Amino acid sequence: MSGGRHTSPAMRLGTLAALAALGVLTALAWGADTPAAAAGAPAHYGLDAAKSTLQFNFTQAGARNQGAFRRFTVALDFSPDNLAASRLQVSIEMNSLDSGDQERDDTLRGDDLFAVKKFPQARFSAPQIVKTAAGYEAVGKLTIRDQTRDLRVPFTFRTATEQGAAVGYMSGKTTIRRLDYGVGQGDWEATDQVGNDVVVSFALRLTAAH
Amino acid sequence: MAMRNTTHRWGALAQLFHWVIVLLIVAQFTLATMWDDLPAGPKKLSLLARHKSIGITVLVLALLRLGWRWANATPALPDDLKPYERKLARLTHVLLYVLLFAVPLTGWTMSSARGFPVSWFGLFQLPDLVPKNKTLYHILDDTHVVLAWTLGSIAVVHLGAALRHHFMLKDDVLRRMLPLRLHKTPEQR
Repeated sequence: MSGGRHTSPAMRLGTLAALAALGVLTALAWGADTPAAAAGAPAHYGLDAAKSTLQFNFTQAGARNQGAFRRFTVALDFSPDNLAASRLQVSIEMNSLDSGDQERDDTLRGDDLFAVKKFPQARFSAPQIVKTAAGYEAVGKLTIRDQTRDLRVPFTFRTATEQGAAVGYMSGKTTIRRLDYGVGQGDWEATDQVGNDVVVSFALRLTAAH
Repeated sequence: MAMRNTTHRWGALAQLFHWVIVLLIVAQFTLATMWDDLPAGPKKLSLLARHKSIGITVLVLALLRLGWRWANATPALPDDLKPYERKLARLTHVLLYVLLFAVPLTGWTMSSARGFPVSWFGLFQLPDLVPKNKTLYHILDDTHVVLAWTLGSIAVVHLGAALRHHFMLKDDVLRRMLPLRLHKTPEQR
């Protein structure tokens, strides 16, 4: 019986129409994509660790004190023309903290504060970067110890060409509350001697990866 | 009681300086023994912060006190004191004044050398006297402790001398530094 294989003219017409529609949609989608493609994929930047700083500023016994993290990595995909595809990833080796005092560093590494053995890294992951009046803002999540919080980090960014290579300078600062991240267990929950507010600031030199 | 000193008696302000500084120094020794066996933590930081704030207070009071002393008469020592007793009294008093400055100043400097700035009761932060230097910190730490104990020892000698004057020599040397009149002053006798 050949009747079963037989396609009716109406069906053929339907298939043609569907194919045509698909073709038009594809063409439209292709066309819509073109301007974005012109903006280009954002440049990928890595950290020039030797010329970058990541500092924290805190109150101890009523006085301002400063420290820094010596080892951290930064991966930035950034283009002012293509913020939609821009993102920032920072990973900090907590053991590399340096408050300028060995005894204090050991205390900071301890279980009641950063607990670096249990939580060796802190991470800031920002899948979104937005433009602001003053510059940009990385919108993401910060994880210290086992606590993750939403955080917006304002920053400025400028590019330069140094010895033929594209570099980016990124700097900014933000204030976080240490207790939001559990940095301060037991007695250290008290904020009269060591303040809750910690100002984190950074000045990074980034090199464009090829 | 008059505000100013006379040649017979310490005035109210000189007495206030003397006794407030005595109380603060006692507090300083007490605080220093309290944090000795504490682990690094907010409690220890709190005691240290108070010790530093009180130390700065002593330094300022010592400065004001010395200024007030210069702007005032100094009650004379009893006439019947032997020359060596006068010299000893003079030496003790000079040393006490020197230490009232030296002890807080070594404390402040050692904090700067350690890299821990000093705050006065959390109200304002004092400038660092020296840049950070671990070796200097250890030297100053030892110096601060030695000077503090020297101050404490001389203060005990000073107290002993005052009691000797009062109970053995039966003069008015102790009485004239007291706000209360335990006995009549010589001019009232």
